[in-house]
Amino acid sequence: MENSRALHDELKYIVGESGILPEAQIADYTFDGYVPKVVVLPASVQELQDVLRFASKKTLAIIPAGAGTKLGIGNLPEKVDIVLATTRLDSVVEYEPADLTVTVESGIRLAALQAVLAQHRQYLALAPPHSDRCTIGGVVSANASGSLRLQHGTARNQVLGLRVVHGNGNLVKSGGKVVKNVAGYDLNKLYIGAFGTLGVITEVTLKLSPIPMREVILTAGFESVQDAVKTGLNIVGSQMLPMFINLINFEAGGATDAKKMTLVAGFGGDPETVAWQLAQCRGIMEQNGSMGVTVIEDKLQRQQLWSVIREFPAPSRDTKTVIVKLNLKRTDIAEFAAKVVNEGSDHGVQVMALLGSGVLYLAIPVTSDTDFQVLAKTITQLRQSVTEARGNLIVETAPPELKQHIDVWGPLGDAAGLMKQIKARFDPNGLLNPERFISSI
Amino acid sequence: MREKEQLIADLSALLGVKNVLTDATALSVYECDAAPSFKAMPDVVVFADTAQQVSDIVKLANKYDAPFIARGGGTGLSGGMLSVQGGIIIALNRMNRILEIDLENERAVVEPGVVNLLLTQAVQSQGYHYAPDPSSQKACTIGGNIAENSGGPHTLKYGVTSDHVLGLEVVLPDGEMIELGGTVEETPGYDLRGVMIGSEGTFGIVTKAVVRLTRNPQASQTALAVFETMDDASNAVSTIIGDGIIPAALEMMDSLVIRALEEAFQFGFPLDAEAILIVELDGIKAGMQNQTDQILEIFKQHNARKVDYAKDEAERQQLWRARKNAFGSFGRLAPNYITQDGVVPRTMLPKVLRRISEISEKYQIPIANVFHAGDGNIHPIVLFNERDPDQCERVEHVNMEILTVCAEVGGTITGEHGIGVEKMDYMPLIFSPADLQVMATVKAIFNPTGLCNPGKIFPTAESYTKLGLKPDAGRNF
Repeated sequence: MENSRALHDELKYIVGESGILPEAQIADYTFDGYVPKVVVLPASVQELQDVLRFASKKTLAIIPAGAGTKLGIGNLPEKVDIVLATTRLDSVVEYEPADLTVTVESGIRLAALQAVLAQHRQYLALAPPHSDRCTIGGVVSANASGSLRLQHGTARNQVLGLRVVHGNGNLVKSGGKVVKNVAGYDLNKLYIGAFGTLGVITEVTLKLSPIPMREVILTAGFESVQDAVKTGLNIVGSQMLPMFINLINFEAGGATDAKKMTLVAGFGGDPETVAWQLAQCRGIMEQNGSMGVTVIEDKLQRQQLWSVIREFPAPSRDTKTVIVKLNLKRTDIAEFAAKVVNEGSDHGVQVMALLGSGVLYLAIPVTSDTDFQVLAKTITQLRQSVTEARGNLIVETAPPELKQHIDVWGPLGDAAGLMKQIKARFDPNGLLNPERFISSI
Repeated sequence: MREKEQLIADLSALLGVKNVLTDATALSVYECDAAPSFKAMPDVVVFADTAQQVSDIVKLANKYDAPFIARGGGTGLSGGMLSVQGGIIIALNRMNRILEIDLENERAVVEPGVVNLLLTQAVQSQGYHYAPDPSSQKACTIGGNIAENSGGPHTLKYGVTSDHVLGLEVVLPDGEMIELGGTVEETPGYDLRGVMIGSEGTFGIVTKAVVRLTRNPQASQTALAVFETMDDASNAVSTIIGDGIIPAALEMMDSLVIRALEEAFQFGFPLDAEAILIVELDGIKAGMQNQTDQILEIFKQHNARKVDYAKDEAERQQLWRARKNAFGSFGRLAPNYITQDGVVPRTMLPKVLRRISEISEKYQIPIANVFHAGDGNIHPIVLFNERDPDQCERVEHVNMEILTVCAEVGGTITGEHGIGVEKMDYMPLIFSPADLQVMATVKAIFNPTGLCNPGKIFPTAESYTKLGLKPDAGRNF
């Protein structure tokens, strides 16, 4: 095992002084109580390849990262040598607005990309937490999506092509730059959501969407979870096409009340289309016993509320909140949300359901009194009932004390064997983000 | 393959004699798909009725070292189901049950032999459909669609098969049965569901699929515009997309197609027109007229000489009838044709269409174009007579040059038909040996013996020579 001084010096040969993150900023890349020996910031794909070759030769563990916002996701690491951050690979490679596609280096911040696209009234329809800081590479690697997935899907539906550097330093591509492509295997899907365990993404080509001409958000409070979910599913199953329709039990942007269940529905598009949906949605909310509907059209107010929705529940490296994600059939949301709200509200548990997508997020506060063994047991029991409902439960953020008692990913079913073989062939020495992904991959 | 007679006896014992075809006449039905210029005779065709039978057949195939290939409707356009090394064709048409329809969750569970359109018809009266709609949807099966990651005219807005499949039950090439993905939108781990879709039947055999159902749009509107030049029509396409309108479909036909259609069906299109665009909007009725007006304005700006839009469903069907019958009319143009399937960035359409017409001129081979313009997915129809060896040779050059152009402008060589045997040789145009090596690595994990649908997708050493690349650039995949 090398000491960090020697490691610094060797890496400096590859990336130069400016390619090593100053010690003072290393806190941005600590996670699960681990401090990386060094955070390296390659300025070119060539440098990135060289870093991987170097690490491979020295059998050093590499943790691929962008801005580091999702480093807390995963099981406890076995070892952390080098964090390889792509933030200096941040250029727009190719953007032809009339093609409605863009190719970028993976380290570009989502917010920076959105700003470029907005000049042409286009955007990337992914709105994960940390939208201001996170990088495209991180979003794709974690398959982070957010509320807009209702109409646009996740990165799996919007990534057209990738360039990836494997652990041995080889640069390969998958997919292409056009919106439809069935040449060869669809290996984009392998890297999306792989948390850097198969390679480091260096370039991404994405499908874009036009920015809606008009946007509006409606909120409606309900007495019970069941009423709120029923109303929301009614809207999802109607002819309306909401951008998102979420259920929350907390205060957001002044438009909702922590004591009630609130439906938050967003609409966007042609002004007349939005007006029709607004009227329809309000009607359904009122008919279903809402305690009052608020229509938010003012841009500032709308953005305030939207940013709370978008950022909840931000997975983080801080350990004050446990974040749990349930993937369910949408018809099972009412049952699980009600259970969690009933049992958890007194403990400050916050929930948000993405009703159309069948996703339920829980944010469980951690205090000095938290008994992690008990919490792990509670989550495991919840996971069991979720699994019986043919869903799954992932612990997205948790302090190491909880991770010691629970596999954050849960059972994988019979595909685990194939997954392990893929990892073994792509990263034979197990150096890419080791032990943190499913089945300790 | 070893002991063919014994294999056939074992298959007959497993499935019953009537479910095992060995007679040459019967087998000849299975020697090709809808790309009839490629043919290969299987040794035996079997009909499976259950996933367990598929697994048992695959295990027998392994025992006798026999290649095996799944087959659905046989409508593929790249020779993806050809038994190029002989062996067993496993026909899945009898596994055609819709097992579950769950409209509240917008899901259906189906067997692979379900015909695409029949799934839509099963839910139509309740206001739903299955979104991927390849032109062969009356005959192609969901299993085949999954193997090819099929598209169709409406993928511009709704995406391809991969966007509509949540989970798969698969018989792996060693006979083991596993589930990939699930009934919910995401499952932990690598997205092997996504990797399986579009693997052209080389990673195993899908025996069950959980698919999304899509609510029928409240309204739709279809417009048609006639243009004097291909450039005007293609520029109108980029302008529509660039202006932020995502139509449900945006289709183009060129003069050769227009003339063939007129001869066959008399739609009343002007015979001297260079291009026709058909655009369909769908979604919420309120505000749709605004987008229609915007599109009509764009057509006008690009010198459309005639613009028509459907005032009712009957008129809409009439406008689509032209597009859907296009392929039926090519018989009038030449005895044989090959449909290419490249995709180019939408803004490159004018350039690429000009290049295609130059290629046609150069080799004196007529090429008609009818395609998904909104996706940039071109379908040059290369017209020839297969009995004329000289024409056949020129067609080879035409194919290669068209696909080379697609690759050069940043596109791809197939948007929905797949590589199969038809385009293996052209893979080096878009993938480096290192890229292909990764694909080969994944294939070796799913299909280590190579018995599952062999001889597809990967280029050979000759492919490199054919493309004028150094043979040593080729690896043995």
